[in-house]
Amino acid sequence: MTGRRVARTRRRRVALRVTGRVLFWLLIAVLLVYLLFPFYWALVSALKTQTELIRTPATLWPENPVLANFRSVLGNDRFVRALGVSTLVASSVTLLSLLVGAVAGYALGKMRFQGRGASLYVILAMTMFPQIAVLAGLYAVIRLLGMPAVPSMILSYMLFTLPFTVWVLTSFFKGLPDSLLQAAQVDGATLLQAFRHVLLPLTAPALVTTGLLAFIQAWNEYLFALTFTVIDPPARTVPVAIALFTGEIARQEPFGEIMAAAVIVTIPLVLLVLIFQQRIVAGLTAGAVKG
Amino acid sequence: MQDAPEAPTPPAALPLDGEGGGGRGRPKKNGVSRLMRLERRTAYLLLLPTFLVLAVIAAYPFGQVVYSSLTDAKFASSQPTSFVGLDNYRTLFAMTIRRLPPKLDESGAPVLVDGKVRYESAVSVLPRSPRRYRQVFQFGLLGHRYVLGAVSADFVRAVWDTVVFTVVAVALETILGMIIALTLSSEFRGRGAMRAAMLVPWAVITVVSARIWEWMLQPTRAGLFNALGSYLGLSEGRTDFFGNPTLQLPSMIMMDVWKTTPFMALLLLAGLATIPAEYAEAAKVDGAGPLRRFFRITLPLLTPTLAVALIFRTLDSLRVFDIFQVVLGNQRYSMASFAQDMLISRRDMGLSSAASVTIFVIIFVFALLYVRSMKVDT
Repeated sequence: MTGRRVARTRRRRVALRVTGRVLFWLLIAVLLVYLLFPFYWALVSALKTQTELIRTPATLWPENPVLANFRSVLGNDRFVRALGVSTLVASSVTLLSLLVGAVAGYALGKMRFQGRGASLYVILAMTMFPQIAVLAGLYAVIRLLGMPAVPSMILSYMLFTLPFTVWVLTSFFKGLPDSLLQAAQVDGATLLQAFRHVLLPLTAPALVTTGLLAFIQAWNEYLFALTFTVIDPPARTVPVAIALFTGEIARQEPFGEIMAAAVIVTIPLVLLVLIFQQRIVAGLTAGAVKG
Repeated sequence: MQDAPEAPTPPAALPLDGEGGGGRGRPKKNGVSRLMRLERRTAYLLLLPTFLVLAVIAAYPFGQVVYSSLTDAKFASSQPTSFVGLDNYRTLFAMTIRRLPPKLDESGAPVLVDGKVRYESAVSVLPRSPRRYRQVFQFGLLGHRYVLGAVSADFVRAVWDTVVFTVVAVALETILGMIIALTLSSEFRGRGAMRAAMLVPWAVITVVSARIWEWMLQPTRAGLFNALGSYLGLSEGRTDFFGNPTLQLPSMIMMDVWKTTPFMALLLLAGLATIPAEYAEAAKVDGAGPLRRFFRITLPLLTPTLAVALIFRTLDSLRVFDIFQVVLGNQRYSMASFAQDMLISRRDMGLSSAASVTIFVIIFVFALLYVRSMKVDT
């Protein structure tokens, strides 16, 4: 009697565990589809012919995949130029932010001076600063300085990349042992020499992380780019080009080409993110959780 | 990153004063104070570029925006501008609530359609001069019907829409992000691959994701959702997600949730990693079920992380621009896309600046509320 009951509860427990497992993997599958499907859909759509693209109902898989959309996007001067502009802008922003941010991070992380805490708070507050709040004023500054669109984008993107860079690098410099700096100073190095030859090489991992995040943010930016290139269309970046994408001939929105463009600009970023995922996660969580 | 040790201990040989210490009049050896002064001067020098850049791209432009919000400045024009005080703000906030009278037929009885009272159109009750008020929305209260009218109906609607968008999107992201984070925090094969997959939406450019979703939500069965809807017999496959006003916001929210959930999940995952597994183990031994363990142990310990994630996402979401501008253009605005459109399309720099200042204030208030209510010190 009792033996049978024990067996029954055991069987029930096993069944429960099996259903638990099944439900768990089902959840994983649902999440995976949710996270990846839109990108899959863009890729599949980019491989379809124009006729298949507008056929109803939509097909899940291209019947005869063609590369025509990719070819026409890569032959589109405006898009290729936008890729160049975006690369130039995003890399310049990244390098400048790292340069300016590293020296500031060194000062804030390793030196003692009046107003250190206040400076940190002011810079941190900047990360919350809405871009739209400076848009009109920034435009006035740029007109005053007579800056063309590309350098003005480079300068203005530092509004969101610089505070983050300073913040993360400060906490990184703080984490480096003081003895390093002291040893360098004992050896007769000035503060700047110690920075260049001793501390900076040690921050390489943090520089890679923050640099990647700054690059992605700059690559992504749309509000400033859209506004500053209104009078200078050749300086359009990738997001603006994709937002305003029109086909060469078709009057209808050329979604096949748009999806091809979407895939082209996303794949490098996805690869970059996947390669550096550990570091990116560390950087994001350091920037946010610590903030 | 690593836990930085709190304020590095000053080396014994250099009794440096702390922040704001001043240290004037204290007897000090000449060499020491010279070193200190050198360190201080170097620090200021190193911080100079950062503050210079921030002054040029943040402080000065913001001052300029606040100033032009009080003028009738036109964008990209050489017209002389004049000071107009709070006129722009009055234009933005001029609102009125009027009661809508029911429609009456010749005999003076209310017109009924399907048993429901018909009301006069909003235009007939809203003031037309000196400024024209337009309808923002109608609502029923205590058996009467009212209309909210505003001079800048688009702006009032944009504020309302952005707040609704933010509240719903952030709530959904939090729930979904929590589910993903909890799933990923358990051990299973392929966890690394799953985490990599999670980063994909985050890596897609917002504008690109907007266009991908725009394509999936096409109003014909060439669009994925309409094809699915008609296949499952839910719709006729002609649902216009971006043309139909009631579906616009939900579509925007759906797009935003897909794109930003990974960020939320990442932060929560990092927070979960800091909770010692022994707590949950102990509770399990005591016979607490998974739900109880989550609400009694995991959630309270996760609160600081959750608070920071919520602040980041809420503030980010309140300044949403990309997806509204790309998908809805000037059909319907978010706060930021309204301000940008006023600046570029209407060239009304004064009004746009006033809207920008308002957005700034709204975001600031949200930040303050969060910090106060969650007692997080940022």
